Amino acid sequence: MSAALQLSQVSVPGRLEPLDLELPAGQLVGLIGPNGSGKSTLLSRAAGLLPGRGEVSWAGRPLLSLAVMERGRMAAWVPQEAHFEFGFTVRAVAGHGRYAHGDDGRGVEAALERLDLSELADRPVNQLSGGERHRVMLARALVNDAPLQFWDEPLAALDVRHGLEVLHLARVLTRTGHTVFFSLHDLRVAHCLDHVVMLHEGRLYAQGSPAAVLTETNLRNVFGVRLRTGDSMILELP
Amino acid sequence: MKTWARRHALALATLGLLLAAMISLMVGDMPLTLTQLWGGFMRGDELATTILWEIRFPRLLVAILIGAALAASGVVMQAYFRNNLASPGLLGVSSGGSAGAVVAIGAGWSTISFYILPLTAVLGALAATLAVVGLARRGASTERLLLAGIALNALLGAVTSYVLSNFTLTYERNAQIIFWLLGGLEDRNWDHVWMASPVIILAALLWPLGRSMDLLSLGATEAQSLGVDVRRLRRRMLALATVMTALAVAVAGTVGFVGLVVPHIFRLMVGPEHRRLVPLALIGGATFVLFCDVVGRSVGGLRLGVVTAFLGGPFFLWMLWRRK
Repeated sequence: MSAALQLSQVSVPGRLEPLDLELPAGQLVGLIGPNGSGKSTLLSRAAGLLPGRGEVSWAGRPLLSLAVMERGRMAAWVPQEAHFEFGFTVRAVAGHGRYAHGDDGRGVEAALERLDLSELADRPVNQLSGGERHRVMLARALVNDAPLQFWDEPLAALDVRHGLEVLHLARVLTRTGHTVFFSLHDLRVAHCLDHVVMLHEGRLYAQGSPAAVLTETNLRNVFGVRLRTGDSMILELP
Repeated sequence: MKTWARRHALALATLGLLLAAMISLMVGDMPLTLTQLWGGFMRGDELATTILWEIRFPRLLVAILIGAALAASGVVMQAYFRNNLASPGLLGVSSGGSAGAVVAIGAGWSTISFYILPLTAVLGALAATLAVVGLARRGASTERLLLAGIALNALLGAVTSYVLSNFTLTYERNAQIIFWLLGGLEDRNWDHVWMASPVIILAALLWPLGRSMDLLSLGATEAQSLGVDVRRLRRRMLALATVMTALAVAVAGTVGFVGLVVPHIFRLMVGPEHRRLVPLALIGGATFVLFCDVVGRSVGGLRLGVVTAFLGGPFFLWMLWRRK
C-alpha cells in the first residue's frame, strides 16, 4: 500500500514541534497523548484549519495549497465540541457536508441512519444533548465522504453503544479506502486500531502498530501509568 | 396552520408589506381616502398628488429601504458573530455611523456635497465594526459582545456630545444633529431615497451568500473544513452589513432594534436557513419600520427611533431572559 497521507515537517509554533508522518490509505489511525500534548493541534493543522508550517499531501497532492472548496472535498474534520447557536435541523446540518460537492444532498438520509439520528432528523440541533450533537457532526463528516477523515475525540461524548457504533463505522469507512485519523483517550480502544501515533509535550513520541507503541515503557514515560495485563471487562456490539 | 404559514411566509410577508405601505400612504396630518389615494397616484387629484409624490412616497420608500437595510445587517451580524443578539444598534455600528454623520454636519462638511454625509457615516460605522470585530477575535460570547457594544455606544455618544457642545453651531445644524440622534423619517425627500437606494444592490449581493452563511453561523473552523472560504466570506459580510447600516443611518439617523427584532421573529417562523431568512428579513424589516412610523404618526408625531425602541427594548429583554 502506498503512503496516502504524508505529513512532512508539520509544526505549529509554540504548540507542535516539526514532525513527519506517513499513513497508508484505508487505515484506522489513533492519535493518543496526555491532555495538552498537541493532538487537536496536529489534527487541525493536518486538515489545513490552523496556520503553521510544513507540508501535508494526500496521494501525492499538496493538501494545504488546494483551494478551500477542493480541500473541503478531500478532508473532513469533526471538532471536539460544537456550540450551535441557531436551530438548524439535524438533517440540515448533516446536509452541510455536501457544500463542497455542490450541495447535492446525497447520502444524508443514509448517514443519519448510520449514526442513529433518523428519529431526530427534524429536531433543531441546539436542543440536542452533547453526545447527540457530536453524532450530528460525525454524520456531517460522513456525508462529505472525503477520503481523509480527521476526528477530534469522537468518542469522548458518546455512550458506550454509540461509541462502539462509531468505531464500527470508522472501520467500515476504511474498507472503502478512507483514512480515519482520530484522537482518543481510551487506550483499550487504541489497542484495536491499525496504527497508533503517540504525542508527548508537542512532540511525536512514537508511532507504529498498537503493540509497538503501547508498551510499558512508553505508557510510563508519556502518561505516567503502569500497564498491567489481566482480566478486564470487554464490551462489544451484539 | 403553522406549516401553512411557514410555506407561504414570503407571500404573507409581501402582503403585509403592501398593506403597511398602503396604510402609510393614507395616514398623516392630511388623511387620504382610497379614492384620493388613487387620484393622487394617477396625478388626477391635485392636492393628493402633491401630498403623495412630494411627501408620502419618498417617506415610504426611505422607510422601506432603511427597514430592509437594518434587518439584513442584523441577519449578517448574527451569522458573523454566531449570536442572535448581535445587531447594528447593540454593537455600536449604528452609533458609529451616527457619529460620522454628526461630525460631518457639525463641521459643516455636509453642505459641501450631497455625498459627504453618507460617506462619513460609512467611515464611522466601519470604524465601529472593526473595533467590535477586533474584540470578538478573542471570543464572541454574548457578554463580551454586549459589553463591547456598551463601551462603543458610550464612546461614540461622547463624540456626538462633544460636537453638540463644542462646535459653534447654527440653529439649523443643531436641529439636524438632534434629528440624527433620535432617528426619524420627517421631511425625507427624493434625495434621501436616492441616497439609500444602493441598499437594493447590496441586498441582491447578500442573498447568494446565504448558503455559506448557514455554514459559518455554526462555526468558522467547521465552515472552513467544509469548503467555505471563510476569510473572503467574512470580508464581504462585514462590508455589506456596515454599508447598509451606514446608509440607513445617513438618511434616517439611529433607528434601533430593527436588526434585532425582525430576524429573530422570522427565525422563529421559518428557521435559520439564510436563503429563506434574508428575503424575509428584507421585507419584514421594511414592514416593521413602516408599521412603527405609522404608529408614531398616529399617536401625535412620535419619532420613529422612539417607537422602535419602545417596541424593541422589551423584546430584547425578553430574548435576554430566554437565553440560558
